[in-house]
Amino acid sequence: MRMKLDRRTFLAGSSALAILPYSRFAFAADRTNPVIALDADIGNLDPGNRVGTTEGNIIRSVCQTLVRFEPGKTSWTNDAAKEIKQISDTEFDFELNPGQMFTGGYGEMTADDVKFTYDRFINGDKSGKKLAYADDMEALKAVEVTGKYTGKLTLKHPSAALWLIGICDASGAILSKKAVEELGEKIATTLIGSGPMTLKEWRPKEQFVLAANPDYKGPYKAHFEEITGKIIPEHKTSFLSYQAKELDFTAFDADQLDTAKGLPDTKVIDIPGVDYTWIGMNVQKGDLADLKVRQAIRWAIDVDAIIQGAYSGATSRAKTLLAPGLLGNWADAPLYNRDVAKAQALLAETGKTGLTFTFTCLNDATSLAVAQIAQANLAEVGITLTINAMDSGAYWALGADDASKDLELTLVPYTSKFDPSFQTQWFLASQIGLWNWQRWNSPEFDKLHQEGLETLDKAKREAIYIDMQKLLDESASCIWITHGRNFFVDAAWLKPMFLPNGKDWQFEFFDKA
Amino acid sequence: MTRSQRTAAFIASRLASVVLTIAGATLLLFLMVRLVPGDFTSVMLGPRATPELRAQITHDMGLDRSLPEQLWLFASRAATGDFGEDVVSHRPILDIVLDVIPNTLALAFSALVLALVVGIPIGVIAALKPGSWLDSGLALLSISFITTPTLVVSVILFLVFAIGLHWLPVAGAGAPGDIVDRLQHLILPSVALALGWVGYISRLVRASLLDTLGELHVRTLRAYGVSEYRIVGLYALKLALVPVVSILGIGLGDLIGSSVVVEIIFARSGIGSLIFNSIAQRNYPVVQACVVFIVAFYIVANLVVDMVNALLDPRIAAGRG
Repeated sequence: MRMKLDRRTFLAGSSALAILPYSRFAFAADRTNPVIALDADIGNLDPGNRVGTTEGNIIRSVCQTLVRFEPGKTSWTNDAAKEIKQISDTEFDFELNPGQMFTGGYGEMTADDVKFTYDRFINGDKSGKKLAYADDMEALKAVEVTGKYTGKLTLKHPSAALWLIGICDASGAILSKKAVEELGEKIATTLIGSGPMTLKEWRPKEQFVLAANPDYKGPYKAHFEEITGKIIPEHKTSFLSYQAKELDFTAFDADQLDTAKGLPDTKVIDIPGVDYTWIGMNVQKGDLADLKVRQAIRWAIDVDAIIQGAYSGATSRAKTLLAPGLLGNWADAPLYNRDVAKAQALLAETGKTGLTFTFTCLNDATSLAVAQIAQANLAEVGITLTINAMDSGAYWALGADDASKDLELTLVPYTSKFDPSFQTQWFLASQIGLWNWQRWNSPEFDKLHQEGLETLDKAKREAIYIDMQKLLDESASCIWITHGRNFFVDAAWLKPMFLPNGKDWQFEFFDKA
Repeated sequence: MTRSQRTAAFIASRLASVVLTIAGATLLLFLMVRLVPGDFTSVMLGPRATPELRAQITHDMGLDRSLPEQLWLFASRAATGDFGEDVVSHRPILDIVLDVIPNTLALAFSALVLALVVGIPIGVIAALKPGSWLDSGLALLSISFITTPTLVVSVILFLVFAIGLHWLPVAGAGAPGDIVDRLQHLILPSVALALGWVGYISRLVRASLLDTLGELHVRTLRAYGVSEYRIVGLYALKLALVPVVSILGIGLGDLIGSSVVVEIIFARSGIGSLIFNSIAQRNYPVVQACVVFIVAFYIVANLVVDMVNALLDPRIAAGRG
């Protein structure tokens, strides 16, 4: 057939092309199920070997844990467990609800499945390999099956952290023994659960779809039939996609706050973070071994200017390790507002002049801005700072093989969990050569850390963690910058739900506003 | 030697050079990625990277073997299409690459077609009115296209057509099997990627067509009273397009390389974004597999162009072109 291109054909073709964009896209904003953005793809869906928050968020919504975090809170109530009875500080009896079915035809959850799940954390996987998140269950000694639905947890020592960062969180997701044995390594990409949602679809690097699980027997029914998560690594892109009405919910960067506030039919959600970014000083390295030099640097650096200049003033200043809202937050921690005279006086006492240090940081714009402000601040007191910015691969490799021993000043961003012991562990002597880049060694701090792990009394724990932060403060090895802040935009019709850190999303509790 | 024998010999020699080039590029890449400081375990696991876990993953990735051993393992497996398993997801790396390659090819081919469809007419119009205001205007337009970075074009398209007019979607590659959705998601990235090549092709066509229009056989056609439209459309343009065909291989390779930026901005899964993320994570096996695919594709595209040219112009096959 010979195609004839005349004026009429051309106009018809052009019109069809012009209509193409409208044909379905015009209805994109009329969704009843939310489409949201996540900045990282699924890496590994095995709860014990997950690699990021995306998997954690999915696992918590697809699997059941003995107890589940309540919506937006770090308190918990029973989920898979009908009852948990405390026998002593280190013994707990549990009873499962009957009839809780795993998806994929893997049958009913029994106490055997709970034992199998937790034993992987205690003993490693099938080949004995330690799980990446094994330390979340560090306090767990053994699981004993006493009946089809009943069992006993025995702990090595009393532990509050076990529940908060282990059993309640993604690490505590109860897996089907049968499914794991059948699927083998495929459990990295296949999630069999019994929770409020199922992982209906996952297209790597593109999107995943969570669907309500009609067979879920627990108390937390999902509110949406489906939630689609698009993988959009750049916040700038996802924020623009939100504005183009392709998305109903996304995180965005602080510098877009004003734009976000002006968007129609949009709620801006602002959640103070509990993470921590600090400037660390290597107390074993050259002139930094002198406490007065470190104190001088602490007085010389203008953290308020850093908050304004590097974080657009959109986050608040940190004054200690543990963020407000966390157990052990030291509310009365001293605030070191810039005092050049004090810094110069301390340096004069040391008799040191012409000090030069290297400032190591990630090569993103925020880190570089922090480095440049610190460089300018220290220049005023006669300290020369050379900035050594690295990409993430090279930067995080400093946590291996004692590579951190030559570091001087570093800007370190760490993520948190809800139990203070998770944050304090990186400052232990045992972490020197790994993640304690300050190389600060305090036997007293280490002793308190262990006490904190084994103490259950809330008030006593609080006092322990405050004492630990006082020791850190006396060392002048850390200049606390910020706990971060999480910003989200969401369509007015949608009500997302997060745990109080803003990082852990609870898809099962997403609802219509 | 007959013409067909010469052509066959030419193709055989080119195929041999393809194998050598892929092997050389693979070796170079293998050594280069290992010069970059940093390791996979630190990036992926951060503070959870205990010495035991680090050792385990290093072993799983084969990084505890000697360099020659690693190279031999990689090359011998890659030759059979086995690029190993991703240590995080335990998926075959070949599957990971094959998942995303269709998106990148669709993007590169659509951008190339767009560049040809728009660039050739602009070049022809400019060549037909040399020295006119129209020629100057089109020259300015073409050079603007060439010099405007893909990043800037992407953002402008983004703001105008997705956010301002709400005509087109921004992120992703669209739903598989839904051709309309796939096309909608392809339009803006293709335009962003194609624009620079629209400029190149239009300038190339203009220069080539002006040369052709000045040749003796064209003057002869004019002397016989053949209309200018027939001369351009039926005779001169065919000859003028020979250099365009020659650069298509390079163009396709360049478009696949440039797709990294576009795929990141438009959040499209593709080999560009995969390689970018894998480099950031020091995920060497995935990087290696991606680059082998890109190198192979680039070389095969050029080989096809060479063969087409050899068939069109026997002097090339005879080594006289």
